[in-house]
Amino acid sequence: MNFLPLSFGAPMVLWGLIALPVIWWLLRLTPPRPQQETFPPLAILARIVRREETPHKSPWWLTLLRLVLAALVILALADPVVNPRERVAVSGEGLAIVLDNGWSSAPDWDRRVATAERLIEDARENGQPVILALTAERPAQEIGPFDADSALQRLNAAEPRPVPTDRPAIYARVADALVELPGASLAILTDGLAAPGDEAAFAELLGQNLSEVLWIEPDSLSFVALADSANEPERFTVTAVRPEGQNAPRQVVAYASDEQGRRIAETVISFGPGEARATGRMQVPFELRNDFASIGIDGESHAGALRLLDENARRRRVGLIAQSEADGAQPLLSPLYYIRRALGPYADLVEPSHPELTEAIPELLEQKPAAIVMADVGTLPDSVRDSLVEWMHAGGTLIRFAGPRMAAAEHDEELMPVRLRGGERSLGGALSWSEPQPVTDFPPNGPFSDLSPPREVTVSRQVLAEPSADIVERTWASLADGTPLVTGAPRGEGRVILFHVTPEATWSTLPISGTFVEMLRRIVQLSRNQGNLAAEAQDSAQRLAPYRMISATGTLVPPGPEAEPLTPSDDAPVTLANPPGYYGSEEGVVAHNLLEPDVELAPLARPEIPVPVAEAAYAFDESRPLKGPLILAALALLALDTLAVLWLGGQLRRRRLRRAATAASVLAAVLLLPLMVPDRALAQSDEPQPGDAEAIAATSVTRIAYVITGVSSLDAVSRAGIRGLSQFLAEKTALEPGEPAGVDIATDELSFYPLIYWPIDAGAPMPSEQAIARIDAYMQQGGTVLFDTRDQYSAGFGAQGAVSPETQRLRDILSGLNVPPLEPVPEDHVLTKAFYILDEFPGRYRGAPLWVEASITAESRADRPVRTGDGVTPIMITGNDLAGAWAIDNSGEPLLPTVPSDPMQRVYAYRAGVNIMMYMLTGNYKSDQVHVPAILERLGQ
Amino acid sequence: MARIGEATAPVEVQDALVRARTRASFVPDLLVEARRVVNNVIAGWHGRRRRGIGENFWQFRPYVEGEAVARIDWRRSARDDHIYVRDREWEAAHTVWLWADRSPSMLFRSSLAEVSKESRALVLVLALAELLSRSGERIAWPGLSDPFAARNGAERLAQYVAHAEKVPARPDLAPVRRFSDVVIASDFLDEPEETMAWLDRLVRIGARAHLIEVADPAEETFPYSGRTEFHDPETGERLTAGRAETFGEDYRRLYLARRETLARWCKKLGWSYTVNHTDRLASEALIRVHTAMTAELDTGR
Repeated sequence: MNFLPLSFGAPMVLWGLIALPVIWWLLRLTPPRPQQETFPPLAILARIVRREETPHKSPWWLTLLRLVLAALVILALADPVVNPRERVAVSGEGLAIVLDNGWSSAPDWDRRVATAERLIEDARENGQPVILALTAERPAQEIGPFDADSALQRLNAAEPRPVPTDRPAIYARVADALVELPGASLAILTDGLAAPGDEAAFAELLGQNLSEVLWIEPDSLSFVALADSANEPERFTVTAVRPEGQNAPRQVVAYASDEQGRRIAETVISFGPGEARATGRMQVPFELRNDFASIGIDGESHAGALRLLDENARRRRVGLIAQSEADGAQPLLSPLYYIRRALGPYADLVEPSHPELTEAIPELLEQKPAAIVMADVGTLPDSVRDSLVEWMHAGGTLIRFAGPRMAAAEHDEELMPVRLRGGERSLGGALSWSEPQPVTDFPPNGPFSDLSPPREVTVSRQVLAEPSADIVERTWASLADGTPLVTGAPRGEGRVILFHVTPEATWSTLPISGTFVEMLRRIVQLSRNQGNLAAEAQDSAQRLAPYRMISATGTLVPPGPEAEPLTPSDDAPVTLANPPGYYGSEEGVVAHNLLEPDVELAPLARPEIPVPVAEAAYAFDESRPLKGPLILAALALLALDTLAVLWLGGQLRRRRLRRAATAASVLAAVLLLPLMVPDRALAQSDEPQPGDAEAIAATSVTRIAYVITGVSSLDAVSRAGIRGLSQFLAEKTALEPGEPAGVDIATDELSFYPLIYWPIDAGAPMPSEQAIARIDAYMQQGGTVLFDTRDQYSAGFGAQGAVSPETQRLRDILSGLNVPPLEPVPEDHVLTKAFYILDEFPGRYRGAPLWVEASITAESRADRPVRTGDGVTPIMITGNDLAGAWAIDNSGEPLLPTVPSDPMQRVYAYRAGVNIMMYMLTGNYKSDQVHVPAILERLGQ
Repeated sequence: MARIGEATAPVEVQDALVRARTRASFVPDLLVEARRVVNNVIAGWHGRRRRGIGENFWQFRPYVEGEAVARIDWRRSARDDHIYVRDREWEAAHTVWLWADRSPSMLFRSSLAEVSKESRALVLVLALAELLSRSGERIAWPGLSDPFAARNGAERLAQYVAHAEKVPARPDLAPVRRFSDVVIASDFLDEPEETMAWLDRLVRIGARAHLIEVADPAEETFPYSGRTEFHDPETGERLTAGRAETFGEDYRRLYLARRETLARWCKKLGWSYTVNHTDRLASEALIRVHTAMTAELDTGR
């Protein structure tokens, strides 16, 4: 059947399709069940209905629908499969599968496993034993023969390895095993990459007694791997390779990550047509390049796409030597000061602990520095000179600065880039015609060619080079008159560079210019570390433990059990025992990378095979059973049929639909309701709470409160009194109190009022304990209660010690309060001077003292008019009936006479009220205010 | 889908014992409702407003030669030169035959209506009985009672109905005499000719009939749709309509034509024909019938 990629698991069920006509006939005869209705006027209806033909057959489309439904069910039961997989024809006594699981097989590993799985399935059907060998595993692996089940288990447990394949060893094992299975089929599942020793390996394998070879290789080798990276002075270059034979132009994106895996730079690597190797450049600042920990390629998930960098690619060590260490107290004159400042951020500076050159230079060389800076060093002792020259030839960079000592020294061919004239040249001195010379453009051949020349730099002294044939190409920087300022020359792998001025600002202003930093940086970047410090400073037998390994998918993972310590060397092979990754520890690591910088990825050529060969490609099993979709379609049709029957039965009429729509909208509303509730809750929080109006009224203006005692005449007097006082306050002071506030101490909020006037009446009910507790809290929190017993003239007439009922009541009340120690208002109390100067506080009566909290701690000094002290008394007690004196009627006339009837007494009563209010509202400010003259007098000295 | 119409439990049940008990509770309910309906109408129900045999004074009129001398009102005649006869208001009782159809088709009640047709018919008839009894008319249920006059006429009629042994499909109109009124509450779903045939006796003896057609709204609007099987509660006949909604228009035309035929026939005979839908108030029909009867009594003979 092969115009359609379709096969059936149970083709016999298809005979059921023959039943379709029968189903059709049955369906035609079975109309949908009618709705039963009682209908008395049937006779009338019968007259019309009989005239028309009653449809007692199903409509044709309903029949069709049901037929399709039945056909779908039958088809589904027949278990159809689309794209059935092709059988791999395997014959022979057994099957040997050789599967490459090297690093390049990681991207499509699943597909390789699927292919091998199919082979094993076919072998299972034939009952053949299976040999399964993976070429990147250890040669000692178990390769079988297995039965199909265990072979499948092994296959599913296999995974790609981040190492190259080892075909010779594995193929030898398979060849040995094949001796036991003459005439077996051999399936070679290659990764398509050639490896050393392939030819012999294939020859050995194919030399066995084989019935057939199945050669499976990838369709295309489309991966890209990283071969090399280099931290160059100006840029970071990345070299990528791809298998040869890939001719299409291709671009990949390489990126650099830091140690935390953050992506900090990227570049595009473009392969031209036919190119197998391409280079990309990352133009990023030097500081950023030092943070590179690894280079990867976007979209490539194999071990070859991740390249690790270690310390060698990073900061340079620079050794500093100066013969004359200047006085520590004048660091700016130290020859190394500017060099340290310039190089410190970019390089690891190493300074010898010993000033003697014979000690210092070996000590420095032991550190394997990338560069050594020598500031004005003249002649070197022979012993150290040779090792220095050797180091330089091995790649070291020697940077020398001129100075008096150098000018006086003998010429040394190796350690000088140019021959110098003896002595130094002075420009612009007192006895000279010439001017200090500026620096001119950097010559294009030197490393400074793209720096902008420092026009502000002038050179007043320098050492001069002897003119020679190659002086121009050795000149890296020169002065306006053409004399060299910086010269350099290669020495073996390394180079020597000479600054013709001193490293401090005595000979020129170069060291204090920004260009000096740039130039030194450039030179240091040209240099290379002379070996890995951690690795080579120790015994060469030292082996580094695995630290972080590259997995087969190109990520860093902790080392697996197979990883063994690495003996660092340039050509340590990448094996399963030493997979690529970092070796070492957190302090220092060595990168062990998969690919050599000069690697070429050659495609694997199919060897000559003496037996029949079948070729195939890696592919997934794409067969897809159709049973589920068919059943689903049948269910959908069933639902459709139900709807149709309902419609035929007249139950999908509009009215019902509308009802359904109503129900749906109600449901939606119910579902949406909770969403709206929070809004309502928010809205509620803004709604006025009970008591808000009172609170706002009480706090929008200052109001003086009085206690509603329950005795109406007394309360009326209190209210009139407070109103009279308020009026007086408004006339005489800046305070304009609001309406008097009568408070019920048991229920009302008290904290709104600064002062509560509480006339005591023995006839009033005793306040409850809770009310007294509220008053207590009010006093503790800063409020003041003015108790008025109004019994000045009724007390004290009886026997000595007798108390009036009001005083007794006051005592009862106060027994429930935390009353501080009291005293009559002393002469220098601030109450006497808060607004008016008073010496007594009369009300309707005169003579009762006003008790306030005793200001024990306040200091009272003879030269101060008022005692100082903090706080406002929480309680005031008087017996003078203040409110009675303050009380006015609606026309403003006094309500009650004073006793004795003295108009001035009323005025004094008002003044007392004013002072009390001022004291309430300003506290001890007034007591400080009265000292202002004294303070001013003191300040006026 | 819920059915539109259903046959309600009959107001009377076959079993005698159960029937008695059901009736006992049911009929008073009907009576109460009938009374309630009557109270709305009673204000318009006055005396005969005409001369006749009775006890109350109606008018004095001049003596006409030939009248019995005994009828002369001498006290009035003594006032002047004329001789007067005292007429009394006519208070002769009228006989009204009341009958409600209680056949199975009347048990139908659709979801659009509040009550079954039978219930409505009984309510109407008993309400009329209450009205008529209060005004002293003689009422009777053909086949169940002879005409009688009693204040509790409705109760007595209900008693008769409750204890009726069988429910004839049509009333026995034999005892009806001339000058009687006959009130028939039914659904009149038969062919109009058939209905006219059995009412023909009333036409012949000269009785006056008031037909009340109790109709269920479902019967009139035909709200059925889809494939529907209808069955007749009386004959048990079944009829299947493929798509019922397609017959609605024709059906309504025939249904209304039947009503029209009957109504026209009644009008020609001077009878009244009242339609009462079970989703409307019973009072509406009661007022109409009452008006018809009153008008007749006033203007008829």
